[in-house]
Amino acid sequence: MAGFDKYLKGALARAGEEARLDGSTVEAQHLLLAIAADAGTPAAGALESVGLDRAAIRAALDREFADSLGAVGVSASAFDVPPVTPDPKRQARLGASVQLALDRAVKAARGAELQPAHLLVGIVQADAGTVPRALAIAGVERAELMTLIQQTVTGQPNAEGETT
Amino acid sequence: MPDAVVTRDPADALAAVVALRRLADQLEDAAVEQAMRAGWGWPKVAEALGVTRQAVHKKHFRRLVAAGVALRRR
Repeated sequence: MAGFDKYLKGALARAGEEARLDGSTVEAQHLLLAIAADAGTPAAGALESVGLDRAAIRAALDREFADSLGAVGVSASAFDVPPVTPDPKRQARLGASVQLALDRAVKAARGAELQPAHLLVGIVQADAGTVPRALAIAGVERAELMTLIQQTVTGQPNAEGETT
Repeated sequence: MPDAVVTRDPADALAAVVALRRLADQLEDAAVEQAMRAGWGWPKVAEALGVTRQAVHKKHFRRLVAAGVALRRR
């Protein structure tokens, strides 16, 4: 588990940076951005193969934000929000969607050693909330993406059904 | 402004709640900073926001110190 713990710590730190840009708690979409930004990993590769790099996910999230406000007649771009100085010491709190993603990742691993791909499965499994809406906006089929991610898991030892 | 739109899809309505909260938080951070730079004191900012002085101080004090805003005594 040590390997995954280290990975998770790094991913959460990067997700925290993404959350700070949004001035929000750390949510599943920030973890998704962090995973995509970690180029060269199998998890980032699965995202890339459906056209999702960090910039593409950011663009989809921005659209989702604007669309969701638009649904109640609010235009974010109509406000000229002055720049905000972030609190340098504030540790962004983990939001509920990250907790859910982690729980789902553990379930997806089915007792095997957790891998980054399991975390991605946990994020993509959500069928309500910001992530699935942004994925839909980006034109990504969640089922297809899920298959691609799972392929990166089964390609490695210790994945299917074994308990260690 | 177009006619007020009331969305019928619960997913859209729930997502709007999330987006509005985020926008409100961003706006609060920006507006408090702007007010304090303009020389407002904590009691006036708190009253304008409809929250206690303690709440607004706790939420924004460290950030505004980092921003180099000259803060009046509370």
